[in-house]
Amino acid sequence: MIPGLSNLNFRRHGYVPLLCIIVLTLLLIIALFPEQIAPYAQNKRFLPYMDPDNAHLLGTDDMGYDILTLLVYATRISLTIGFFAGGLSLLIGTATGILSGYLRGWVDDMIMGITDITLIIPKIPAIILIAAYVRPGIWILILVLGLLSWETTARVVRAKTMQISNAGFIMSARCLGFPSRSIIIQEIIPVIYPVILPKFMLTIAGAMISEASLSFLGLSDPMMESWGKMISDAFTHGGFIREMWWWFLPPTLCICISVLAVTRLGMMYETDEQEIVSE
Amino acid sequence: MRPFLQGSIFLFRKLIRYSCSFGIIVLLVFLLPRMMPGDPVANLVGEDIYLTDETKETLRAALGLDSPLHEQFVLYSIHLLHLDLGYSYHMHGAVSDILADRAGWTLLYIGISIIIGTCTGIYLGARAGFEHETWWSSLISSLALIISSTPPYLLSLIAMVIFVYHLGWFPFKGFYDTFHILSIIHHLTLPVLILSVFYAARNVLIMRGTVLSEKIQLYPLFARSLGIPERRILIRHIRKNAIIPLIALIALDFGFLFSGALFIEIVFSLNGMGSLMYDAILNRDYPVLTGTFLVIAIFVICANFIADILSLALDPRTRSHP
Repeated sequence: MIPGLSNLNFRRHGYVPLLCIIVLTLLLIIALFPEQIAPYAQNKRFLPYMDPDNAHLLGTDDMGYDILTLLVYATRISLTIGFFAGGLSLLIGTATGILSGYLRGWVDDMIMGITDITLIIPKIPAIILIAAYVRPGIWILILVLGLLSWETTARVVRAKTMQISNAGFIMSARCLGFPSRSIIIQEIIPVIYPVILPKFMLTIAGAMISEASLSFLGLSDPMMESWGKMISDAFTHGGFIREMWWWFLPPTLCICISVLAVTRLGMMYETDEQEIVSE
Repeated sequence: MRPFLQGSIFLFRKLIRYSCSFGIIVLLVFLLPRMMPGDPVANLVGEDIYLTDETKETLRAALGLDSPLHEQFVLYSIHLLHLDLGYSYHMHGAVSDILADRAGWTLLYIGISIIIGTCTGIYLGARAGFEHETWWSSLISSLALIISSTPPYLLSLIAMVIFVYHLGWFPFKGFYDTFHILSIIHHLTLPVLILSVFYAARNVLIMRGTVLSEKIQLYPLFARSLGIPERRILIRHIRKNAIIPLIALIALDFGFLFSGALFIEIVFSLNGMGSLMYDAILNRDYPVLTGTFLVIAIFVICANFIADILSLALDPRTRSHP
């Protein structure tokens, strides 16, 4: 189970978080088993520009692919990029944040200096520039997105670590002679995860938005059929001007709904955290 | 005198950090074309263009590509200091001239949107945070959440389908038909509206949060006990304090907003920096691409520096404890 899910309190949060979890679970199932869910094989082609009917619930695109099938297969790619890029930036951010909050001194000064410096670099233009030179596959994209989005996590984690590192239980662990490594893993991380989780959610959302934007510019892997790529195809191949809403609206809605669900879940943890602090 | 001194130290430290950021950005722009596989000349002047071997050799000599990396970097920095961003063989012009031509339009429409977006965002967010138990407050914040988690280019694509293709209220490309103020307003209304809505949505969320946390402090309670009307507590006391964190956040957000604006430009085919970047990507016109990136970075850094000065002017606490 996801830690912290047990303190889901429906009276306080309403039923929206539950809805978000259901949506994300559904997307996860679609991403894991696209072969069973998609109506056709991925590379099967039909007549192009067909209107929706019973055989093709969402019609076909300019190349004659079934749009519902594309949509189902795209889920895996969009979610993979979001979660792995989010995970990478979570790892870097948490590690640097804890190190600089726990060790302080010159380590802190240096890490925070680097954080401040990277924070200013405009992310999406930088990713565009790198992608234009590298023409990335999915893993390079994840790497770049992860490497450019860890700073806010690092800042928040650092502040929280500083706040708790003078607390009694950390002090006693230090006095008992536990090594720093085990103090960090066993004492600090369990306490600060409510701060990490919302940041993780927000970076996932950010990575998904960046991926959608990049593929809209035609800069992600050309073989990679993500939601953003579908919208980009609809934009460049006349889906919008013909008002073929069944082509561009489903991927748009998918992006919006998944980003919204992830963000909303993250915000739930954030409000929890604020309430704990103010109590 | 002392607060002034501390203020300048604060700004000076910020300035050092910003110069480091800019240094890294320049380094990135410098290293990318030279480290990538393939001919660095092709990486530097762009692909998809035909150059004779003779031209390539002169270019190689002019760019100093045969000398060691650090000498190349010195040469490159000198070029940058002379505002020489390279020459675009696709557009047949110096990149700095092309950019100077385009940047004004982009700044114009981003500037208008920032003003509209900040004012409505602060107003709505403050009201929504102050009266957070009402139904319209939760309506505003959910709407703001939905809008701010939609990529701006999707917002503009949807708006384009509805207002341009379906209803035909607005023209679908360019800044103007004839160079006349009415025509410009007609063309800019929809992009400015979308960018402002997006901008306002993010501000509403931040402002609502800060007002909520300021509201439970003691000073609004004290003001209420003095019998000051609620509206005046909000405007005179709470909003002043809540705006300060907003300024820093807006500045940090500026890069994200700027890229959002670039995407909106692409959708509406406005001839600003966004479309310039898009064309450069399609044509692999690397000098224009790197030049645009550098200019965007400069804008973002300037915005952050202005925000630092603003927060210094508005918040006495930063003056006494830098």
